[in-house]
Amino acid sequence: MSRSIAYSSSPLLTSATPVWRSKFIVAALALAFVGLAGRAAYVQVFGNEFFQRQGEVRFARTLELPPNRGRVLDRNGLILATSVVAQSIWAIPQDVDLNEPKLAQAAKLLDMPLAELKRRLNTEKTFVWVKRQVDEPLALQLKALDIKGLYLRKEYKRQYPEGEAAAHVVGFTNVEDVGQEGVELAFNQQLSGKSGSRRVIKDRLGRVIEDVREAIPPVDGHDIQLSIDSKIQFFAYQKLREAVAEHKALGGSAVVLDAHTGEVLALANYPSYNPNQRRNLSGEQLRNRALTDSFEPGSTMKPFIAALALDKGLVRPDTPIQTAPGRLQMGGFTISDVHAYNVLTVNEVIQKSSNVGTVKMAMQLQPRDMWEAYAQAGFGQKPHLPFPGAVSGRLRAYKTWKPIEQATMSYGYGLSTSLFQLAQAYTVFARDGHMVPVTLLKTDQPVQGVRVFSEKNAMAVRRMLEMAAGPGGTGQRAQTVGYSVGGKSGTARKQEGKGYAARKYRSFFVGLAPVEAPRIVVAVMVDEPSNGVIYGGAVAAPVFSETVQQTLRLMGVQPDTNVKPHIVADVVEESV
Amino acid sequence: MTRLNLVLLVAVLGSAFYLVHLQYESRRLYVALDRAKSHSERLAADHEQLVVQKRAEATPARVQQLATRQLQMRAAHPGITEYVALPASAGADGAVAGAVQTLKGPLSAGGRP
Repeated sequence: MSRSIAYSSSPLLTSATPVWRSKFIVAALALAFVGLAGRAAYVQVFGNEFFQRQGEVRFARTLELPPNRGRVLDRNGLILATSVVAQSIWAIPQDVDLNEPKLAQAAKLLDMPLAELKRRLNTEKTFVWVKRQVDEPLALQLKALDIKGLYLRKEYKRQYPEGEAAAHVVGFTNVEDVGQEGVELAFNQQLSGKSGSRRVIKDRLGRVIEDVREAIPPVDGHDIQLSIDSKIQFFAYQKLREAVAEHKALGGSAVVLDAHTGEVLALANYPSYNPNQRRNLSGEQLRNRALTDSFEPGSTMKPFIAALALDKGLVRPDTPIQTAPGRLQMGGFTISDVHAYNVLTVNEVIQKSSNVGTVKMAMQLQPRDMWEAYAQAGFGQKPHLPFPGAVSGRLRAYKTWKPIEQATMSYGYGLSTSLFQLAQAYTVFARDGHMVPVTLLKTDQPVQGVRVFSEKNAMAVRRMLEMAAGPGGTGQRAQTVGYSVGGKSGTARKQEGKGYAARKYRSFFVGLAPVEAPRIVVAVMVDEPSNGVIYGGAVAAPVFSETVQQTLRLMGVQPDTNVKPHIVADVVEESV
Repeated sequence: MTRLNLVLLVAVLGSAFYLVHLQYESRRLYVALDRAKSHSERLAADHEQLVVQKRAEATPARVQQLATRQLQMRAAHPGITEYVALPASAGADGAVAGAVQTLKGPLSAGGRP
């Protein structure tokens, strides 16, 4: 039987305890409280700042607020380039288990071999991009896989709905959203905004629960409205593409300018590329030929000589010039015409594109006057266009000209120009002698030009251009239903090394329409047509014709020539 | 005295709990607000995406292709275009109002029993 002792009668309790023990306990507790109070005071008052900061370091995060890159719009407000949200996938390689079975699914979603994915993740780095800018639905699927160590990051991706038709004008950005080509590069500063930031406190689930300070909102980039009309751009591109295919050419360019405002309505090049998928691009595709390629303009320079000769009072439109026998000896060189003519008037010299007739006019001019007229029309100068890679062409100082050079320059050899400069130069004839500054941005204001030729003489040359594009002229195929056109064809041999290539040509056509009150200037160039036909009047003029017609129709310009209607209006009335 | 202290204690406790509750509520609402904001951002992004898609579906290249292939249409040119001159008064308000009235006339008459 065990001995039991009642609690109240425990012998331990009956023994007297020394008083100091309870006092000691009380004192110890009091000391502990003092310690706590001291610590609390230290944390909350003296060391407050330090602890606040430490707390923030653990919970506060600075979130970057990326700005929206501005859109690129056409003249009617249609989108040419815009940014959409895309997710980029990144990883902390140490955190990813390479034996994770879900990696195979991820690789499939990302459209890359599993081995490649593993190779990327098998690195010492603390951060790697797995794939950038994937579509949103795909990113969500990947997120659903929930693989440890893989993360998503919101980024913006550029979209170019117009595709290859406007690729050279609009250009593109790189994966970091920085412009690389075209307008995206030229107007990069305006388009890109400034990112903002937000300082927030996150809880353990990663949810934002409080703003620490006022957020700095991001400043979005400005939209850029171009003068390009996407419909005209497309037509020009389409016709150009057809012509290049038909003539088995290397490439081509077309420029459409509004003669009233100097706006660039279309600027097309072929071959082109799809800016949405930029793999394996070649320089050939990327080049904005209309601005970056310079060539000898050939016969398209002749109207400038005629205008200058008229301006100087040396000739009148009906002044006869002897061009027989179609050849002209000059300092050991022979200048010849394709067909030999007899006596031609100045009008006919331009219409038939006679080299001999043009040289005879040019040799009466002072080199300085000729140089000035060319320079005023923009030759040898970079167009005032904020475009990467635009060339100035070549126009040598007149003091260094030899007579033979003055002669060849009158019919477009010995100087070089881009197609864009050529189109711009022809605004001189379209605007009654004024040279107009061009712009790639939409404008409503009529522009002030610089006078190059007198109004009367510019109109006289316009008449010559109309003849050149009419019956008996070299550019008859520039004719289009409903609208009167004027223009000059050109065919120039391509330079190769120091000389000219044997059978390589550039064909072009520059003109304006309608002749009475020109609204547009169109220039077309086809590079190395090799299907038997080489002349600008046969290769480039049809593109000009179709582009002019569609452009004027889209601009709502009434036909100015009598059109034989193909529709029978009576039928409509009978059915009412 | 004790009663006053008790009242004050209750008041302090009440205010403290209320403060905790408010803090909690404020964070809850803030999380909801933040979520709504990111939702609105996502919707805006979706909208932009749809606008681009719509635009891509309506590019001149595609429109022309569909019009010629599916609808057998061809490009208009002045030869097959009839230009209708508007009468001088056609653009004026009076003419438009008149046209509307003639439309209304038979309708309202027919509506009456």
